[in-house]
Amino acid sequence: MNVSYLELLKLAAPETIVVLTALAALVVDLTSTRDLEARFRFIINGMIACAGCVAAIVWMLVMPAHANALEGMFVVDPLTQVVKIALLGLTLFTVLISMDSTFTEHIGEYLALILLAAVGMMFLVSAEDILMIFISLELTSLSLYILAAFNKRDVNSAEAALKYFLFGGMAAAFTLFGLSLLYGLSGATNLGQIAAALEDKGLDPLLIVAMVMIVLGFGFKVAAVPFHLWAPDAYQGAPTPSAAFIASGSKVASFFIFAKVMMIGFTGGETNGVHEIAGSAAWQQFVSGWTPVVAVVAVLSMLLGNLVAIVQSSVKRLIAYSAIAHAGYMLIGVMAHSGEAVASLVYYAVTYGLTTIGAFGVVAVVEARSKDDQLASFAGLSRRAPVVSLCMMIFMLSLAGIPPLAGFFGKFYVFAAALKTGAPNLGLLWLVILAIAMSAVSFYYYLQVLKQIYVADMPAGAEELRVPVLGQVVLGLIAVGVILLGCAPNLLVGVLQASIKAAGL
Amino acid sequence: MPWIVKNLWLIPALPMLAAGLTALAPQRCRKFAASLAIGSMVGAFLLSLCAFARALQIGPHGPKDFYNFDWLQFAAGAPGVLQLGWVLDPLTAVMLVMVTFVGLLIFIYSVGYMAHDENFTRFFTFLSLFAGAMLGVVIANSLLLLFICWELVGLTSYLLIGFWYHRPSAAAAAKKAFITTRVGDVFFFLGMMWLYHEAGTLLFYDEGRGCLEQGALIGMVAQTTSLGLAVSTCIGLLIFAGAVGKSGQVPLHVWLPDAMEGPTPVSALIHAATMVAAGVFLVARVFPLMAAHPEGAAAETTALQAVTWIGAITAVFAASIAVAQNDIKRILAYSTVSQLGYMMMGLGTGGVAVGMFHLITHAFFKALLFMGAGSVIHGCHEEQDIRRMGGIKKYMPITFATYAVGMLALAGFPLFFSGFWSKDEILHAAHGWPVSHVPFYLGVAGAFLTAFYMTRQVALVFFGNNRSEALPSRSTHEAKEAHDKSHAPNAGGHAAAEDSRAPHESPPVMTWPLIILAACAIGLSVIGTPAWPWFQSFLGAHHAEGFTAGVVKLMVISALIVFAGLGLGWWLYGRKPSQNADEPDVLEKLPLGMHTWFARKYGIDELYELTVIRFNAWSARACAFLDQWIWGGAVALVSYLMLGFSWVSRAFDEFVINLGFDQSCGGVTRGGRMMSRFQDGRVQNYLRILGAGLVALVLFLIWGGGK
Repeated sequence: MNVSYLELLKLAAPETIVVLTALAALVVDLTSTRDLEARFRFIINGMIACAGCVAAIVWMLVMPAHANALEGMFVVDPLTQVVKIALLGLTLFTVLISMDSTFTEHIGEYLALILLAAVGMMFLVSAEDILMIFISLELTSLSLYILAAFNKRDVNSAEAALKYFLFGGMAAAFTLFGLSLLYGLSGATNLGQIAAALEDKGLDPLLIVAMVMIVLGFGFKVAAVPFHLWAPDAYQGAPTPSAAFIASGSKVASFFIFAKVMMIGFTGGETNGVHEIAGSAAWQQFVSGWTPVVAVVAVLSMLLGNLVAIVQSSVKRLIAYSAIAHAGYMLIGVMAHSGEAVASLVYYAVTYGLTTIGAFGVVAVVEARSKDDQLASFAGLSRRAPVVSLCMMIFMLSLAGIPPLAGFFGKFYVFAAALKTGAPNLGLLWLVILAIAMSAVSFYYYLQVLKQIYVADMPAGAEELRVPVLGQVVLGLIAVGVILLGCAPNLLVGVLQASIKAAGL
Repeated sequence: MPWIVKNLWLIPALPMLAAGLTALAPQRCRKFAASLAIGSMVGAFLLSLCAFARALQIGPHGPKDFYNFDWLQFAAGAPGVLQLGWVLDPLTAVMLVMVTFVGLLIFIYSVGYMAHDENFTRFFTFLSLFAGAMLGVVIANSLLLLFICWELVGLTSYLLIGFWYHRPSAAAAAKKAFITTRVGDVFFFLGMMWLYHEAGTLLFYDEGRGCLEQGALIGMVAQTTSLGLAVSTCIGLLIFAGAVGKSGQVPLHVWLPDAMEGPTPVSALIHAATMVAAGVFLVARVFPLMAAHPEGAAAETTALQAVTWIGAITAVFAASIAVAQNDIKRILAYSTVSQLGYMMMGLGTGGVAVGMFHLITHAFFKALLFMGAGSVIHGCHEEQDIRRMGGIKKYMPITFATYAVGMLALAGFPLFFSGFWSKDEILHAAHGWPVSHVPFYLGVAGAFLTAFYMTRQVALVFFGNNRSEALPSRSTHEAKEAHDKSHAPNAGGHAAAEDSRAPHESPPVMTWPLIILAACAIGLSVIGTPAWPWFQSFLGAHHAEGFTAGVVKLMVISALIVFAGLGLGWWLYGRKPSQNADEPDVLEKLPLGMHTWFARKYGIDELYELTVIRFNAWSARACAFLDQWIWGGAVALVSYLMLGFSWVSRAFDEFVINLGFDQSCGGVTRGGRMMSRFQDGRVQNYLRILGAGLVALVLFLIWGGGK
């Protein structure tokens, strides 16, 4: 299929807009606003970045497209557009919560990197070709490494970034290895063609290795056990907005492409897997070749994430472990591999990302005043900053999955989709039961945070926290969004289901 | 559709509204309550006159005026809609005018009668509510709406009879009235359900679809039940059972005499004009249903025969009891029961017009009598025993004159009094009844007894000399005290006259209604004589015989009987008045202890006491026993079991779960701590774990995959 460059540009217009915005922010900051106060620089350039995101979102809303350019290199359909819009929204909120921070003087560069990471995610979402997937992954990852390291004056930030980078580099190496094996086995880079080529091959060890390596690569991106080890350190050490972006946008994009690769690329392996493993009773509940791996990873993530979160004293680490646990829940959605499961997965990832950005926003507010993110610093927050505390309560309860907040419906939807998929032999039932039990455990540490905020006494001499109006408005908006998506999930679910139908997944 | 038909609901709504407003008003707003209630009745009366004019215009055979509306949608589609509505036909119009007019007079009279009662406002609230409910019964075009208002009537009569609820007898009477009428209402309700089942509607008239119209009737006549009766007849009998309860027919008459415990205007309202008439009205309303018979069969259906027999028996039965009563109101109460029996008999033998004519005339003269009795009681300082009255004629001339008119009308004194014409009509119809002549003879006997006991009453009350002073009686003392107490607030009123013990005439607010009613009791005879049977033809009856020989013969017979009754009464009681209240009654000389039977009301109350009530009490005790020991025991057993379970469960909780939970919580925390040891911060270890994880997963999949 030949595509003219003009048409390609039109298809990639949102990405182009974001790239141009990144450049614009960079240029404006380096030329015009250099001498201004850091606050104003952040506001001006942040507004430029936001404008770029909004423009890209508007473009996608106004010009819906449906095309497959360059044999899966760049696929635009309603589903990817929805995910891209969500990603840009998360980017927007990341930019907004970082406007108040003071960790860097390189504001233009910082914003440009966020936007470039966003571009990487957008391409990732659109890719159906392993080469393109890898390149986009790397674009995203590299931007995120730098973002994690952005607080140059802080040793922790540097350490976190280094760990993240080393871990990521190794994971990328494995991923590339796995993808090469896949190419070697199938002779194709397009996911659909790979699936076709694998159809009549058995589940041979080479394929297994390739599969596991790819799972490893994505497992690293989504911070699933045992590829999660970077996450707590990176979340804690990285500047808070960076951590928020790593935890939200990156996760949405990674989960989406993870599900896509597994569902499209390994359908062949899946059908073969059924024949291969049907004889073994222990594996009967697994209907496809790659699900055992993902199941193990999901179980480990849920167990480890939730249990370890309990003993954390740093809120950012706590959120990091909770992120690992949430990755475990979301992996159930990946395993369900149906159209509805994808809808539930995207809903979960987007609402989770939104909530996490909010939670990190609150942490940033507290951190800016008390210089650390220990649980003890949150003591009596409700009396020092009532609005922010209320937002934090909503975020924590949503993460814990209390109705009617978005987190509850996300979990419910994912579990329901999983049960529906596994209905004939209840293959995923035990996973769902485990997930529900573990989310009960998770109440403990979420409530721990709320207990500090609402019940614990204020430390002596603590005064009212002055939270900038913009910060309060942004956090409030996110909280309203969480409530709204929880009370009226159909706002997002309806769109997702319609676009999945349109995309033909 | 004329304005009045569409807005007929205003007639009951006005008194109901007044009731609602007075219910909210504080006790001291006496003037407000009275004027609101009377004003609403005036409004209702004027509207009723409009309605009457409309009914005159349409006439008995014109199309029915009705207005139906959807009330309740209980299932999908048109059959699931319950409709209510109102109808304006001559029957409704006549009843409306009668009820509002008599009601209005009773309201006015009550202002005087209840002037000293501290619950004046409450009284008018109930009175208005009662009037509204009764008017609702009258206008209803749906058996359901009729039933709703019917029950409201029952409720308000309960409230009014028990108005002096601090008197145990009043409270008991109210209860008795309510429960006894409820027995009839159960059958009524069953009949209504059955009718709904058969006809699919409870509307009376609905352009051919109503349950009293040809289509539905033909269907119900065609079906027979296992007893061999037509369905329409069975339903009619069930509905008639409701009327038996409400109209105090044998065997459900027992509540009516006891209901005299209410204030006298209530007696007048409930027992003369309205409530008891509701039963007769109901039968008149569903008359097409009761009279429905297959083509060619006898017109006297089983339902109508039952109505006739019950009515005839009640007429003579109650009249015989009235002969031996000494309470002025009680006599009137039994007389009412007896007259209601006449009305039923009239309905059963002669149709709607005959029964209704007596209903209307009776309403006027019986209200007159009750209010006259009230005036007497009022004047005699709450004395109700006729043996302790006497010679009141000279103290209360207006009351006497009007009372005499009422008495003569009730007794059926020939030619000048409405009661004569209406009763004669009934006897005439009964005489022509093809099934049996017994009801006619019963009616004649009843007429004789009526004349007799009314003469006895009047003679004892108004003639002779006053026996109240001569009687050193405990009850008189009580009455005096009550009277003093009741008059205490308006010291300096007429009670302060030279001899406050002497009877006195009632105030004009009480006598004027009497005069008006007396005029009506005479004047109403004009509209229903055989010479000009306007009333009958208005209600759609076809007989214009005029004064034929048969009619005249019957009239003469009935006049003779009335004279005989009057004469005997006068001869026994008026000729030589008794001097002492303790003198035995002349009738006690009757053989076979008949007087005792009469005085004790044939022991019906005792019979019920021994049977129904005793059985009820016994079954209540049995139920209580069951409840306490069997069911209570079972419940207690279950609760002990539950207690045991909960004890075990608590022990389990404390020693197993909690310990286990604490342990496992500790375990969870320890596990978390242990696992976080992986996170030692050394990136080389991280990478090792990454590699190890990869290898482990691959091996896991290879072995697990069965390779």
